[in-house]
Amino acid sequence: MEKKYLFVIPAYNEEKNIEKVVKDIQKNMPKADIVIINDCSKDNTKEIVENLGVPCLNVPFNMGYAMAMQTGIKYACENNYDYVIQFDGDGQHLASEAEKLLQRMEETNANIVIGSRFLEKTDYKHPFFRKIGTKVFSLIIKIFCHKKITDPTSGFQLLDRSVIERYAKIGKYPEFPDANLIIEMLLNGYEIEEVSVKMKLNDTGQSMHGGIIKPIKYMINVLYTICYIIIQYLGKKG
Amino acid sequence: MKNSYFILIAVLIIIYIIISIRKNNLSTKTSFLWILASFIMLFLAIFPYSIDWLARIFNIEYPPALFLTLCIVFLLIINFNFSKKISSLNEKIIDLAQEISIIKEKIKKGKKG
Repeated sequence: MEKKYLFVIPAYNEEKNIEKVVKDIQKNMPKADIVIINDCSKDNTKEIVENLGVPCLNVPFNMGYAMAMQTGIKYACENNYDYVIQFDGDGQHLASEAEKLLQRMEETNANIVIGSRFLEKTDYKHPFFRKIGTKVFSLIIKIFCHKKITDPTSGFQLLDRSVIERYAKIGKYPEFPDANLIIEMLLNGYEIEEVSVKMKLNDTGQSMHGGIIKPIKYMINVLYTICYIIIQYLGKKG
Repeated sequence: MKNSYFILIAVLIIIYIIISIRKNNLSTKTSFLWILASFIMLFLAIFPYSIDWLARIFNIEYPPALFLTLCIVFLLIINFNFSKKISSLNEKIIDLAQEISIIKEKIKKGKKG
């Protein structure tokens, strides 16, 4: 039986980018389906997506990137997709790189494959704050899970069916599903692999973690969530 | 009677809570806590020296400190319960919203096909 692939793309005020992103996927990965989660955008994202003829989940209120992503994963779970490719709606990710993730999954039988920006030297320029954050998270993962993940904050990930089912069921899906979620999955025995991909910094949309206060808030949030997961995990074990 | 004001306040609070329950503004579980609290208030208003007696049992020299501590603990417990409630409600709301958006898409597909 043919495997079913689904690109899950959360979009919030992405009227400038979303069409490009969808066209890019349709051109480079014609066998895959696409679902866009319109996170209650204030601009014309909804109309643009509907004109493209792509399935679009319109959530009734703005629930944030992570929850929108989970909506897409639930959709994938319900519609029996075998693989989900988490994709950003701002044109940062390139659909032509998705094939690499699929290949890597086939080679290693991993449950999650992350598209990493740092596995090899690419020309991706990283904002200063995120660079520190990435390093710290990488280190934490190494300490707790003895696994080297070079880019835990990457949103470009391939999930297999077992992970889709698990994510769909998480009641407390984290607000920032980065290092914390990776640690949780590693602790629970899921295999995570990385593959080097190219990305570009988005040109029109705003970054999710711009400014100074937001990244700090984000760091604290993720660090705390890691503690939270470890508390929960130790509680279950002991 | 010098503490009649306090008795009056306690009675008013009890009446207010009972009215709220009758109007269905409070669930059984939460209303129980508040009813309990308001009757304790009434009791303390009528017998203010019971706090002194309690303080003596716990070896506390300054009885109002005991009273305030108990108040704070009670409020903390209620507050913590609300935090828990809010968290679980939040989760449920998001879950519902996600479900709704998926079902809406299904209906749309059904209409087209």
